[in-house]
Amino acid sequence: MNTVVVTNVVKSYGRYRALDGLSFTTGPGVTGLLGPNGAGKTTLIRMLATVLTVDSGTLRLLGRDPSAERLPIRRRLGYLPQEPGFHRSFTVFEFVDYVAILKELTDRRERHDEVRRVIAEVGLAAVSGKRIRALSGGMRRRVGIAQALLGEPELVLLDEPTAGLDPEQRLRFRDLISRIGENRTVLLATHQTEDVAALCGRVVVLDQGRCAFEGTPEELRRVAEGQVWLSPERSGMLSWRTGEGLFRNIGGAPAAARLVEPTIEDGYLLLLGDAAVGVGS
Amino acid sequence: MSDWHVDDDLAARYAGGDLGGTTAASVEAHLLACERCRGSVAAAVPAERLERLWQGIAEVVDAPVPGPFERLLRLLRIEEPTARLLGVTYSLRWPWLAANAVSLLFAVYAAGVNDRWGLLSFLALAPVLPVAGVALAFGRGADPAYEIGLAAPYSVFRLMLMRAAAVLVTSAVLAFAAGFAFLGNWVAVAWLLPALALTTLTLVLSSRFDPVYAGSALALLWLAGISVFAVRDQPLAMFGAAGQVTALAVALVAAALLFLRRDRYQSEES
Ligand SMILES: Nc1ncnc2c1ncn2[C@@H]1O[C@H](COP(=O)(O)OP(=O)(O)OP(=O)(O)O)[C@@H](O)[C@H]1O
Ligand SMILES: [Mg+2]
Ligand SMILES: [Zn+2]
Repeated sequence: MNTVVVTNVVKSYGRYRALDGLSFTTGPGVTGLLGPNGAGKTTLIRMLATVLTVDSGTLRLLGRDPSAERLPIRRRLGYLPQEPGFHRSFTVFEFVDYVAILKELTDRRERHDEVRRVIAEVGLAAVSGKRIRALSGGMRRRVGIAQALLGEPELVLLDEPTAGLDPEQRLRFRDLISRIGENRTVLLATHQTEDVAALCGRVVVLDQGRCAFEGTPEELRRVAEGQVWLSPERSGMLSWRTGEGLFRNIGGAPAAARLVEPTIEDGYLLLLGDAAVGVGS
Repeated sequence: MSDWHVDDDLAARYAGGDLGGTTAASVEAHLLACERCRGSVAAAVPAERLERLWQGIAEVVDAPVPGPFERLLRLLRIEEPTARLLGVTYSLRWPWLAANAVSLLFAVYAAGVNDRWGLLSFLALAPVLPVAGVALAFGRGADPAYEIGLAAPYSVFRLMLMRAAAVLVTSAVLAFAAGFAFLGNWVAVAWLLPALALTTLTLVLSSRFDPVYAGSALALLWLAGISVFAVRDQPLAMFGAAGQVTALAVALVAAALLFLRRDRYQSEES
């Protein structure tokens, strides 16, 4: 079943088209949303979160049209914005509790239990009485993830959830999200291709407001099959010097090159070509 | 160390809280010294009871401490979630209310020193304070978690109205108190309809502009209007019968607009 169906969606800011006829579908499980800066990931996530309306095209979320039935979607939604704001004088508990009220968890006792549960899920139980202004950036991000999990939402939208997390927390996050993704729809916008490889059953690549790729991470990896080379010399646009002193080249075979297995990142870079290295518009 | 140990039966009764004070005390004294018995008592504590205890402790430690305004709302029998949502509003907290009160006191003091201009300064100020308070009560600029709140099921429109009403009531109470205590005549309420008109208009404009900008623009317009009449030497003209009727009409039209456009507050057109 497709829980997210995006059809020909257009969204402009003034005269600039941030989404330019975007279409893709996805269902339960974890879907990664990749794309260079400015590709439109946040714009898309904000629309899926019912915060922003479409200019044209249609959205179906959990089988409903957000322009007609916003409330039932919001009741089943968890959302971490790219730049979540916090009441900095609140404690972690107070902040998550505040969001829980906005999520209509009215019974105080049940609400507090749920707040404790999500705080423990992101490993912040020990600091739940600490003021948000006294937390580190990564901890604050985890507070943001915690509030997105309140009420066991069926559609979870996370905009760059792992930005600023240390390796241990990133691992913990993967564990948490993969468990949630077992029966619910999780969409995460990210720049971390390792997270996509480790976590996502599907990946959608956005480029300049359009869908440049839609499939499994393995299919994205295979985009670069037979095109990644290690060689003593630099060749082409997409190449960089690795730790061993050899150049990793993506594209045509350079002289004295050895073919290597591509990664998802290689596939992604090849797909976006110039845009990925910042040459395009 | 003695040969005496806490047997299973004693452990169960201790964990269940069924021992008398003296026996319990001697069990505790022994537990301090004997690891083996600590183990058997720990095993005898029912998990469910421990869980409940722990929940109780967590609740005491975590539960948010309501501020004074929130407690006042609870006394007025407003439900806990609503009181929380109002209590976090910047312009319903002590610093803002205190600043409000101080400004009003200055204005009534001025009114005491110089009848006409002082009175005007009070009447001009009294509606600006709730407008500023409303502008700082909701929206992207004033509410850091606005984006998260927008995606939550709780109605943003309802939240806005509740906070605006609470701000209006608190600033009105302050201005009434100041006005009646120090001026003591009809002019002490002449600001009320203009205040209502200006705050409702602020809410209407907030569907398109950040409330802080909307509020500032309206406050400036209001003060400009006051100045125009003041330089024409009719300082109180805006508070006469015609002014009051106009204010009432504006407030009603704004309220109708607000109601008709209520859906626009629930998401962004960009
Ligand atoms: N509120 C806005 N007003 C004007 N332009 C905007 C606004 N929000 C986004 N844009 C523009 O829309 C385009 C897409 O932005 P968006 O934030 O969706 O990109 P993104 O894929 O999330 O990028 P990043 O990886 O940097 O987060 C960008 O060119 C951006 O400048
Ligand atoms: Mg973004
Ligand atoms: Zn013993």
